[in-house]
Amino acid sequence: MKPPEVSIAVTDLSLRFPVYGVDAKSLKKNLARVTVGGRLGSSNTGATEVTALSNISFSLRPGDRLGLIGHNGSGKTTLLRALSGAYEPDEGQIEVRGRIAALLDLSLGIDPSATGVDNIRLRGRIAGMSTKEIEDKMDEIATFSGLGPFLAMPMKTYSAGMQARLAFAVATAVEADVLLMDEWISVGDSEFKQLAHRRLLNLVERAGILVLASHDTELLRLYCNKVMRMEGGIASEVKDIRRIDELLAAA
Amino acid sequence: MESAQHMLRTGRRGTLFEFSMALRDLITSWHRRGLAWSLAWHDVVSRYRGSILGPFWITISMGLMVLGIGLLYARLFGISVAEFMPYVAMGIVFFGLMSGTINEGCDTFVHAANMLSQTALPMFTFVWRTVLRNLINLAHHAVIIISVIVIFGLWRVADPLLALGGLLLTVLNLSWISLLVGIASARFRDIPQFVMSVMQFAIFMTPVFWKPDAFPDRHAFLTLNPFYHMLTTIRAPLLGEQADGLSYIVLAIAAVLGWALTFSVFAVTRRRIVHYL
Repeated sequence: MKPPEVSIAVTDLSLRFPVYGVDAKSLKKNLARVTVGGRLGSSNTGATEVTALSNISFSLRPGDRLGLIGHNGSGKTTLLRALSGAYEPDEGQIEVRGRIAALLDLSLGIDPSATGVDNIRLRGRIAGMSTKEIEDKMDEIATFSGLGPFLAMPMKTYSAGMQARLAFAVATAVEADVLLMDEWISVGDSEFKQLAHRRLLNLVERAGILVLASHDTELLRLYCNKVMRMEGGIASEVKDIRRIDELLAAA
Repeated sequence: MESAQHMLRTGRRGTLFEFSMALRDLITSWHRRGLAWSLAWHDVVSRYRGSILGPFWITISMGLMVLGIGLLYARLFGISVAEFMPYVAMGIVFFGLMSGTINEGCDTFVHAANMLSQTALPMFTFVWRTVLRNLINLAHHAVIIISVIVIFGLWRVADPLLALGGLLLTVLNLSWISLLVGIASARFRDIPQFVMSVMQFAIFMTPVFWKPDAFPDRHAFLTLNPFYHMLTTIRAPLLGEQADGLSYIVLAIAAVLGWALTFSVFAVTRRRIVHYL
């Protein structure tokens, strides 16, 4: 079976959040010009709306590894969530070909009172793996997490670093063509960081397309070959990673 | 996961498009029914983790209620225990299914906020999760039903197949109600309180603990109560009685109209639900 062509195409994407139960009318004027966050406005239904993304267009081909930079609240995570299919566009369209893995939140589907093994199963199911796929990968995930006998213990007994190790191991076990990551990949101790780094590079190579949001320019230089800057929901054009300084300077 | 291979998300393109997207959500949830089952099973397991009896605690408390009310009310109403105990046992267990599915329906989307805001999982998966979780609970409580059927010799007259048909009609109705209150609760946080009050009220207005013998057949008091129809179509066949044909008709019509209404509401609000949370 020939694998389908992996691609992301975003055209004129606009996304607005209705915020219910909050009256921001009085705050609106003051907030409209701040650098942090999207633009606030009112929808015709009277709910306050935050324009999180406006008129974004770009496309990515296999081998593209896009870094997203921008202030807090500039729309990086929202864009990732829209790419993952969780948020529906208000205007424009998003087309993604290939299997998507969104590694946005380490704690997704994690039940603290369940054992490590149970959490691997649950998280794997949510990521779209079949029961058999999970059992096939169980050993590999267990080995990579380095948790050994702790896997039979409830997650709540883990330290934050151990939890991150497990979550990272499961999240990166998926076979994905498109990898979406928010800034959380720097987890664990230095030894684990190296392991994680190697695994991520491996995954990125297999994945075809990576979109990574981060404030860490060194990290972006390491993983990405392209970069896009978000500001107030508006995206710059996609540039080569070597020109990241130009984009930063434009701030 | 053929559904994950190609994802197309667009702005609104008219009502018909919204309905086709809602339908696609429903179909995808069917393809991934294993996930809904895993989540439901995990809910039950994690809720009672560390407890030896697990969900059977609820069964025991229901059993006690059945015993207490069965003996007490039989005396008060002057009905024989053999007649009243199975009646009240089935009433309590099946009403538990109804109130559980509807009350927990309020949390369907609210509790899934984390997953809904970062994955493309079908929203219907979470509706099935709520429904399946309550069916798993019912399977535990079936111990009570089977006990009364055996103890009071109802197996000679019971028609379990017909009762299963009633259960199917009931679940068909419960699931749309559950989805509808789920959407409403995501948007308006007063709804769960309201739903809980209604269900509390309903348990006394529905012939769970009392027999409707005092009313003439098809009294408005009964026919206007949807829970009466649900309960009677499951319970009557198990007691070796015949449920009124009207109840089957009411449930079938309610299922069709209810699903049409709820699916329309879902189609229109689908892309907004994640923002309600």
